[in-house]
Amino acid sequence: MLRYIVGRIGQSLLLLFLVSIIGYFVLLLAPGGPMSQFALTPGISKQDLDRIAEQMGLNRPIIVQYADWLWHLLQGDWGASFRDNRPVLTVILDHLPATLLLMGSATAIAMTLGVWIGIMGAIRRYSIFDYAATVGAMIALSVPTFWFGLIAIYVFSLNLGWFPAGNMYTIGSGSVGDVLWHLVLPASVLALVDVAIWSRYMRTATLDVINQDFIKTARAKGLSPRRVLFKHVVGNALLPMITLAGLQVPALLGGALVTETVFTWPGMGRLFLDSLGYNDYPVVMGLLMFSAVLVLIGNLLADLISAFVDPRIRLA
Amino acid sequence: MMSTVTPANLDLPPENWWRSRTARRFRRHRLAMFGVVMIAVLTIACVLGPYLLPYDQLFIDLRARFAPPMTGGHIFGTDPLGRDVAARLFHAGRISLLVGFCAMLISIVIGTVIGVLSGYYGGRVDAALMRFTDAFLSFPSIFLLLALAAFIRPDPLMITVIIAVTTWMEVARIVSTEVRSLRERDFILAAHMLGLSNRWIMFRELLPNAIGPIIVAATLTVARAILLEAYVSFLGYGIQPPLPSWGNMLNGAQQYLGSAPWLAIVPGIAITLAVTSFNFIGDGLRDALDARSDLS
Amino acid sequence: MATDKTTLFPEISRRKALGLMAATGASLAVPALIGRGSALAAAPDKPTGQFIVGFSQEPTVFNPHLLHIEVDEGVHFAIFDPLFNVDPDGKFTPALAAEVPTVENGGISADGLNWKIKLRDGVKWHDGQPFTAEDVKFTLDLMVEPDFRSWRRAGHDLVRDIKVVSPTEITWRMEKTYAPYPSILASTFIVPKHALGEAADKNTAPFNNAPIGTGAFKWGKRVAGDHIELLANADYFGEGPYLERVIIKYIPDLNVLYTQFKSGDIDITGLQWITPDHYEEAKGLADREVQLVAGSTVESFTLNMGKPQFKDPAVRSALYHAIDKQAIIDALYYGLPTPTETYMPQQSFYYNPDLPKHEFSLEKAKAVLDGAGWLAGGDGVRAKDGVKLAFTCSTTAGNHIREQAQQFIQQSFKDIGVEMTISNLPPAVMWGDYWMTSQFDSVIVGIDFLTGPDPDTSDYFASTSSVATGGAGQNTWQYHSPEVDKLLQEGGNSLVPDERKASYLKLQEVVRNDLPLLPLFQYTTVRGRKKGLTGFTPNVNNRIDTWNIGTWYWEA
Repeated sequence: MLRYIVGRIGQSLLLLFLVSIIGYFVLLLAPGGPMSQFALTPGISKQDLDRIAEQMGLNRPIIVQYADWLWHLLQGDWGASFRDNRPVLTVILDHLPATLLLMGSATAIAMTLGVWIGIMGAIRRYSIFDYAATVGAMIALSVPTFWFGLIAIYVFSLNLGWFPAGNMYTIGSGSVGDVLWHLVLPASVLALVDVAIWSRYMRTATLDVINQDFIKTARAKGLSPRRVLFKHVVGNALLPMITLAGLQVPALLGGALVTETVFTWPGMGRLFLDSLGYNDYPVVMGLLMFSAVLVLIGNLLADLISAFVDPRIRLA
Repeated sequence: MMSTVTPANLDLPPENWWRSRTARRFRRHRLAMFGVVMIAVLTIACVLGPYLLPYDQLFIDLRARFAPPMTGGHIFGTDPLGRDVAARLFHAGRISLLVGFCAMLISIVIGTVIGVLSGYYGGRVDAALMRFTDAFLSFPSIFLLLALAAFIRPDPLMITVIIAVTTWMEVARIVSTEVRSLRERDFILAAHMLGLSNRWIMFRELLPNAIGPIIVAATLTVARAILLEAYVSFLGYGIQPPLPSWGNMLNGAQQYLGSAPWLAIVPGIAITLAVTSFNFIGDGLRDALDARSDLS
Repeated sequence: MATDKTTLFPEISRRKALGLMAATGASLAVPALIGRGSALAAAPDKPTGQFIVGFSQEPTVFNPHLLHIEVDEGVHFAIFDPLFNVDPDGKFTPALAAEVPTVENGGISADGLNWKIKLRDGVKWHDGQPFTAEDVKFTLDLMVEPDFRSWRRAGHDLVRDIKVVSPTEITWRMEKTYAPYPSILASTFIVPKHALGEAADKNTAPFNNAPIGTGAFKWGKRVAGDHIELLANADYFGEGPYLERVIIKYIPDLNVLYTQFKSGDIDITGLQWITPDHYEEAKGLADREVQLVAGSTVESFTLNMGKPQFKDPAVRSALYHAIDKQAIIDALYYGLPTPTETYMPQQSFYYNPDLPKHEFSLEKAKAVLDGAGWLAGGDGVRAKDGVKLAFTCSTTAGNHIREQAQQFIQQSFKDIGVEMTISNLPPAVMWGDYWMTSQFDSVIVGIDFLTGPDPDTSDYFASTSSVATGGAGQNTWQYHSPEVDKLLQEGGNSLVPDERKASYLKLQEVVRNDLPLLPLFQYTTVRGRKKGLTGFTPNVNNRIDTWNIGTWYWEA
């Protein structure tokens, strides 16, 4: 088991290395440059910009810059943001809670709804409900998240006035209730895709379990269908669900990026877009690495859990 | 996950294919048929639509800005420059569908080559190529896509290429798995014994037999590519106006959500329809190509 | 140039500044900055209440000498002081200097080379340390320190022999006469030697994220991505502060910024302000004052004169005729901006109001092109001597209204047989080499040509300022005119506003005639605030809203 874990972590580190090379070279070989955002600042001259680029070491060969960046990264130094000189890791961690809150709430909504829809669909297989859920899931997977967000704002914020159209809290308030109130729309929008995925997954898992002998035995023993369902079906399907949650991390992060943009949610997605707009390479790089780490951790956990549950995988 | 296709299924000449079990299964798949019809309708509308409308998509009339749908001959209203949204929508459809389709082609080529190589050679080649694939998969693709798009000249060709560059990984994985399982089959062993070259075996023997899953993946990739184009263009880094795309028609629509909601609603429906249809078709194809589905 | 009666600083009538702030209704009651009118409610005795300013960009650079953007200055002005400030009339008012140095008071030698500045006594930094001439010397030295990434060295690199005469007096010598230097000094904030001087790397010193100044407000705290809190500096030497706390709120979306203003979540709309499409509605809001304020940014359609299409003056003139400026202003910008014929803001002392007026006429445009021999080919596009009148036009992708204007212009150009292809780019690509080394054909851009109130624009118009031809600067349109060079030289050599004025008036005339850029309009911003806020004063010379935040208060 330990060897497996060490092996997987080794692989992940190799992956991170690859990710960093791809990301870095894409960013630095591109035209423009971090100084270009200041080109139109009144009073600043081309000489100033060239000098500052030189002072910041941006004129060195890209390989040297990469090596330098990587060397610092290995020592735990993610570099400093071009915009405010703050350490990249600090900047990212500042924005992390908002994103985690959004992703966490969306996952909670998706799991609850998805599990329910999935089980109901499996129990009433081929019913209208089941059919509607299947088609609904496919449509949900096809709607652009940002568009769903726009429509949600149009209906629930502009027309009905039930929820705010953006931001994380009212300025000056920021109480838990206030944050929750702001959270409803973005979390629901982000959850949509996941509801589809969870419900599909849960339907299959439930069908698998329903047909197994011990369920038939349990029912034969006279246990109520409901108890059988929740004790055995959900219990058995739950562990693999964690695996699925791990695999969902990249999609969720991508969804969070657009959702945060539409709802002006102050998380990592917004930070990414802002940093792109400002050519803040260190932060963009940091976010790429950070999200890759999140994804890898997700995958690793998924793998480990399945390995733990299913001993056969270890041999592979 | 992906089922294998028996070689017999696809070696049939076209006239027989229509009557094959696969085709019959596909035609019975109601959602898939809905998808096929929808895509046909959308394609025809995008190709012919502009000729049937009274307005040119580029015709600017500042006096007619923000005309609501069904007024002044504008079925879907007008945009902030007074251009006909319907005309733009159809033109945008050409771009979006074309970008989606071309991105899929490139994506399939990259994915297939990597998948075949890794599946066929196995061992270190497989490990290296699959780690490379994993590296790409570790980026949430929208992050990678934006990072690429923010720093290049955003013309449709480049957008197509970078969408392809961020979508080939699934295909590579599917093909690799497929080829790995086919590799040990008798007909491949026979090919080896006949002394056929590796290249011949890979692309003449293995690939045709893996074509089923590739087609399914291709269909789903079109859907994904259309969606990605919409994301990137919505965020302002994709196709640039005045060239319309469904995505860039939505860029800026948020600003007018209160005063001209049709600007957001209309292109969004088009995207959803197209993507849903391709997903339906992909789903139908997967079921149809799954020989076991007749048994259940 | 050195006459006895030289005054260094321009006298601009208040009428000029206020008259151009096309105020609406209630907002005419803008208080004058200095000598607050007695009709207005009195300021509170001690700092009371708080104020929330909304900005659509996030201030992130708090060391005012590092590379930063406009919005960062919103914080700098609250925390720091320069030696002297610029008021809305373009006049300098003393801040950390006890008086504004002039030739008359002996602060500046008649040739403009020797400077002597008397400093205010008894000023304390926010941490209680006394402010002295050492801090001024430290700041001026810092600007040119080799390893420090100071955002601007122009002017500072001419300063020599800085001498601290006494804690309240400092002198230096200038290498040569440099007319814009007073304007540069007016936006050079003095930073504390004791807090920053010891830092191993001043680029990354802790000071940069917890600044210490002499200003009306002290650094409170920053919640990154959200807001910054500033607290009243009870020991402030100047007027105010009257507010206990100022919150600078970052709201990344202009629609949300407006919504928050409407709902009262923010008290004043800061940088990027209210979008033009919301102006009508905003005017009608209860308990809000909405004011139109001229911005110093001028929008223009710039032509790269290095390209063969644009070498012919007839082409530039014809294109200008083909732009329906008024339609763009009225329909797309809701009639708010002011049409202009020059790069100079109309509030400037140096503005030339007598330039020929633009006339929109497709017929004239065609006639000019016909007359110059640009005739339509088989594809309907005009050409002459093998050069087709076809070019690309770029701007930053994402500026929706500008993109709309661009597409509108494209249609007009098509009507006169000119083919314009739109090729918009992400900001990172646009303003890099593509712009700096003149790779573009044409660009639509809003530029603030001035340094504060100073009229020098050598960086944009001198022949030596084109990178593409081996120069250094932002003459990216490659406009090379000996006459312009001469006028810039004349204007820059004089310290007498009235003498300089003639040069700059003439310069604007030449530029208007040559049309390296087709001037479209000067921006007008829509600024809203809650009723009862006193002290807010637009200042075209200090673009950021909070330039005088120390004097703001709520009417009781």
